[in-house]
Amino acid sequence: MGNNELLLDLRNLQTYFFTDDGVVKAVDGMSFQIRKGEVLGLVGESGCGKSVASLSIIRLVDKPGKVVGGEIIFKGEDLLKKSEEEMRKIRGAEIGMIFQEPMTSLNPVYTIGNQIMEAILVHQDIGEEEAQKRSIELLKLVGIPEPERRFNQYPHELSGGMRQRAMIAMAMSSNPDLLISDEATTALDVTIQAQILELMKDLQKRTGMAVLFITHDLSLVAEMADIVAVAYTGKIVEYSDVRSVFKNPKHPYTFGLLRSVPSLVNEQRKVDLPAIEGMVPSPYHMPNGCHFHPRCPFATDVCRREMPELEEKLPSHYARCFHPVEVSKEVV
Amino acid sequence: MRNYLIRRTLQSIPIILGAMLVSFIILSLVSDPFAAMMENPKVKLADIERLRKAWGFDLPVYLRFFKWFGSVLTGNWGPSLLYPGYSAREIIFRALPITLQVMGLQFIFSLIVSIPLGIISAIKQYSKTDYTLTFFSFFGMSMPTFWFGLMMMLLFSVYLKRPSGASLLPPGGIITPGMESAPFLARLGDRIQYLILPVIVLSLNSIGSWVRYMRSFMLEVLHQDYLRTARAKGLPERRVIYKHALRNALIPIVTLIALSLPTIVSGASITEFVFNIPGMGQLILNAELKNDYPTAMIALTLSTVLVVIANFVADIVYSFIDPRIRYA
Repeated sequence: MGNNELLLDLRNLQTYFFTDDGVVKAVDGMSFQIRKGEVLGLVGESGCGKSVASLSIIRLVDKPGKVVGGEIIFKGEDLLKKSEEEMRKIRGAEIGMIFQEPMTSLNPVYTIGNQIMEAILVHQDIGEEEAQKRSIELLKLVGIPEPERRFNQYPHELSGGMRQRAMIAMAMSSNPDLLISDEATTALDVTIQAQILELMKDLQKRTGMAVLFITHDLSLVAEMADIVAVAYTGKIVEYSDVRSVFKNPKHPYTFGLLRSVPSLVNEQRKVDLPAIEGMVPSPYHMPNGCHFHPRCPFATDVCRREMPELEEKLPSHYARCFHPVEVSKEVV
Repeated sequence: MRNYLIRRTLQSIPIILGAMLVSFIILSLVSDPFAAMMENPKVKLADIERLRKAWGFDLPVYLRFFKWFGSVLTGNWGPSLLYPGYSAREIIFRALPITLQVMGLQFIFSLIVSIPLGIISAIKQYSKTDYTLTFFSFFGMSMPTFWFGLMMMLLFSVYLKRPSGASLLPPGGIITPGMESAPFLARLGDRIQYLILPVIVLSLNSIGSWVRYMRSFMLEVLHQDYLRTARAKGLPERRVIYKHALRNALIPIVTLIALSLPTIVSGASITEFVFNIPGMGQLILNAELKNDYPTAMIALTLSTVLVVIANFVADIVYSFIDPRIRYA
């Protein structure tokens, strides 16, 4: 899709949290690339570092978190080397971001219009009147009915879905090259979720922007993404285009995740939904070797000793595993 | 909104009535204004009988309440027993302006100082600045006014002198004798000298707590998701703090300010006592201690009315600054 120009190149990103109880390596050597106009789905359980990675990209990791290593090359320049002022001009203009909780992500004491206009005025050299016109157009663009009336309403007067649409309008206000969606549909109920997803897909196609789509829900990735990156304990464990990952999962973790998606076949066969054994390890006590080995049915001695590298297991299909799964599609 | 205003006004009537009843009952339980007179050989028994009748003490308690209540409504608040020859109304209106000046000034002064300090303290949480501000806040809060007042007096009225040999600031009181009929500006200058020390002493105390309030309200807001959204929009940090955070942190503080308005009228008895300021705090304390029951009842009633009004004002202000609150 689109041309092959690289937009974002995340190289070995390390974001650590220095807490009183020890250092938490929330993101520990994460790498992925997004080309212009491409949608990358970043999947993983809570605590795998996917949100921290996205906040690291726009350099808004809260204390005690800190990016301690790696490079974030955006349009050929390392964002980690930018000054705060240069970063500020990128946030909201070249990289837009939407968050999980539309209920709390908008300021309750300012109108929707005020908050969208603000995003426009801070980056674009236009007057208030024009900004207002543009805000109303944006509200229309994201499918909010009666945009003129909504413009003057406060967040609490809008439903969750409408608020998330307003958030999207705000993120889209300066036509960003990259949109980061951090679990943007998770807090919404299923029908609204489908609508918001549809809207994001539509906007992506129309504007040709790239999207970093963060979710814990594999089925959403199948629908949205071109490329999938599966994260586990702050590292990418599997990385490939969406078809290949769903057809030939190489990492036992991805394999387990795919198997645990409820399917009608299993329902009919009265089979219990398979789950991945065990729990995500505590961030303070990471196991030696491969972080997944305590939960992995294929683990051997080498897994307990060494952390595998992310290697090409199939053409442009990478996995971080000593014993990649030889697929039988039967299970999925 | 109009219906709400009318409803609230009507609702406050029974509250005030109830409070008046309670203060009447309490004060008629504790005080017998005639006990002292009976022991005074200069007061004739016939006069006591006459006063009993005039003040309604010949009636049963409940009838006496209505008699008192009726006269309060018509503006006759009864005689002051503490200051014979004056009515309760006269002495209250003599004390009120003085208290309004002292308390009003300290209120404004402490807010002007403490709101910015609280914001700084919150933004720089756990920094040296924050710890320093926190130390002085607790210092101010825990410093007893009677002691701190005396120390200030010692410093500014005893140790520090003007070139003329007079003390730098007057040690107490509210007016230099002979200044009562001076021109306005001279009187103002004179009054300011007397106000400086008590206002500083009272402010130190309240600045401490206001800084802590402002700090915690601000901290609560600083962790909200919408600030992350504001930053992700590319807003400068100044705007994130002063537009998005401050506006939300001011909502609870404005309510607190409205609720503490009654103290401006009821005064601060200890500080007034230390600086010998003839304000409401001293008056109320004296009236209650020395059985001046008409003055005490009026003072209590006044406090109730003010608390009711302050709550009312707080609710209305709230609806103006928080769009989520609407009254119908």
